Amino acid sequence: MADIAAAPHPQHRVGRRRARSAEEAIDKRREGETDELGRRAVELSRFYGGKVETVPKVPVRSMHDFSLWYTPGVAKVSRAIEADPELAFELTGRWNTVAIATDGSRVLGLGNIGPAAALPVMEGKALLFKFLGGVDAFPVPIKAASPGEFMATVEAISPAFGGINLEDIASPKCFAILEELTKRLEIPVWHDDQLGTAAATVAGLLNALTFTRRSFKECRTVLLGAGAANLVTARILLSLGQDPHRLTLVDHKGILHAERDDVDELSVRNPWKYRLALKTNGGGRTGDLARAVDGADVLVAASTSTPGTVRPEHVRAMARAPVVFALANPEPEIWPDVARSAGAAVVATGRSDFPNQVNNSLIFPAVFRGVLDARAKSISDEIVVAAAKELARGAERRGLNAHHILPTMEESDVFPEVAAAVADASVRLGVARRRLSHDEFLGHARTLMARPGRLVRTLARAHLTAPMPRGSIGHRRAT
Amino acid sequence: MTPDEPATHPAATSGSDVSTPPIHLRPAVEADIPGLVPLLLRLKRLNEEFDPLLKVRDDADAQSRNVLRAQIADPKAVVLAAEGVGADKNKVVGFVRALVRERPFYSPEFEGVILDIYLLPLYRRRGVGEYLLHEASLALKAKGAGVVTAEFPAQNEIASRFYAKRGFRPITAIHARSL
Repeated sequence: MADIAAAPHPQHRVGRRRARSAEEAIDKRREGETDELGRRAVELSRFYGGKVETVPKVPVRSMHDFSLWYTPGVAKVSRAIEADPELAFELTGRWNTVAIATDGSRVLGLGNIGPAAALPVMEGKALLFKFLGGVDAFPVPIKAASPGEFMATVEAISPAFGGINLEDIASPKCFAILEELTKRLEIPVWHDDQLGTAAATVAGLLNALTFTRRSFKECRTVLLGAGAANLVTARILLSLGQDPHRLTLVDHKGILHAERDDVDELSVRNPWKYRLALKTNGGGRTGDLARAVDGADVLVAASTSTPGTVRPEHVRAMARAPVVFALANPEPEIWPDVARSAGAAVVATGRSDFPNQVNNSLIFPAVFRGVLDARAKSISDEIVVAAAKELARGAERRGLNAHHILPTMEESDVFPEVAAAVADASVRLGVARRRLSHDEFLGHARTLMARPGRLVRTLARAHLTAPMPRGSIGHRRAT
Repeated sequence: MTPDEPATHPAATSGSDVSTPPIHLRPAVEADIPGLVPLLLRLKRLNEEFDPLLKVRDDADAQSRNVLRAQIADPKAVVLAAEGVGADKNKVVGFVRALVRERPFYSPEFEGVILDIYLLPLYRRRGVGEYLLHEASLALKAKGAGVVTAEFPAQNEIASRFYAKRGFRPITAIHARSL
């Protein structure tokens, strides 16, 4: 904790110009690295022809076994499920299978690129689901003309799945889609850009506040960007005791407040944002980010991937030893070194090459592991909070410091703990079809989450997956 | 028009106690026009959300001032201004605009038409909209109206619900297409 006091808080303006040109040089170099990764990803995608495949999970000793796995034996299995549909969760892989459903309307930072172009991203997500969570996930980009058509399609394919992961759907329609599908389906529905990002953010904030000796009650918090992630982050923070008067949202039109010009439009187009416009920003601040951050303890930026969106002077205007999360990907709103030299005590980004990565992958594999193991019927904010708190505890167990408020992806022993906490919460909330003890859930999660790593290594050793072809980036990291 | 929109500001009182609204309602005077114009424009811009044929004109600002000035002076029109209380004292936070129209073929002979009801968001869900409607209806009745009607965009379901809840039903419909 000593480094809070030691954190520099420069007030001087000398050398600002030199610092800015240094920032620009860093931006250029990092841009180059991103380009190189992209080229390599295209090469490898072509080489492997995609990223996931289905692999049998039963022995096939001879063609005769198909009379068990397929007809005639399978008919009896179908009859059993016809009589009791819930048996699908025991007699088929449904218990461990999710659909990654997208309409391609807001893919990464790429925008509305459509369902076909979204497929590589959904494949990558399926790989993460399997590798980190032991979950069989199917990429399902959907060509839908309207949210209604999209929801009807997801509902129509839902009998195959134990859960639905909505992915890369534009805000605000993603809110209506998540709410409506959660109502319609008897399986958990998750939208990672809302719930995953919010859970990881809140986990980071819980520890950042502990580390800087703050509490949500007194904290003045600014959220920059009012899209899927931050609107849910706001909702969760309020449920954790954040004072709505001390919470301010800012978007490209400035501070969100009850008398902003577009507030009536929001009441029709985006009631989620409208409700926050009425509830937050006590004291009625108006204007831009600079006005919002004045004296703030916490800034969570989840806006546009342009370094400089948050300036050092914004950080300098905050309270002493502030917390700054710059979560835009691939490039954060402010580079961590810039934020730290402007006085930030704790900085988090969405990137793995800096400390404190606020990463959905810390959350969604474990959440799905948990709800699938409990055969949960739905996911609610309480489950999101349970996941966030357990993730925060995971980092705390190893000791908090300015560079460790969240577990890294390497601290994988935390993930089964998060899964078990989620399963426990499902039981507690009465949405679990299967009620096991904490230790049983934890044991299942550990086994299922460890298996894919062994599977991947075994396939590689047996040359069933081709070794990574030579190339400067992938080769260096493919071990 | 969204007098019934959800609002949960901590300052908001719950329920819809018509007898003690957190506003002061009075007939608008010419001096209110600068405060009324932005509210009128907010409402018209909201209407624009519902239909492209309700696109707000570039000169809507000047038009608002002219219309308000004329109607404040017009004995057949009703313009009531809602002033806030506390920190919003002397600030116009909402208004209702209505007029009495003759019905040559129908009885009752005079119709009181509510053209606009607007409240700033923080004053919604507190019974103020209902109070504005009630007071405007009384004023229209005093001017001879035997029936009160309300005009709003067909797609505005919130307004539809607001009026339906208070005993209004659709009696005529206006259908439009571009020429």
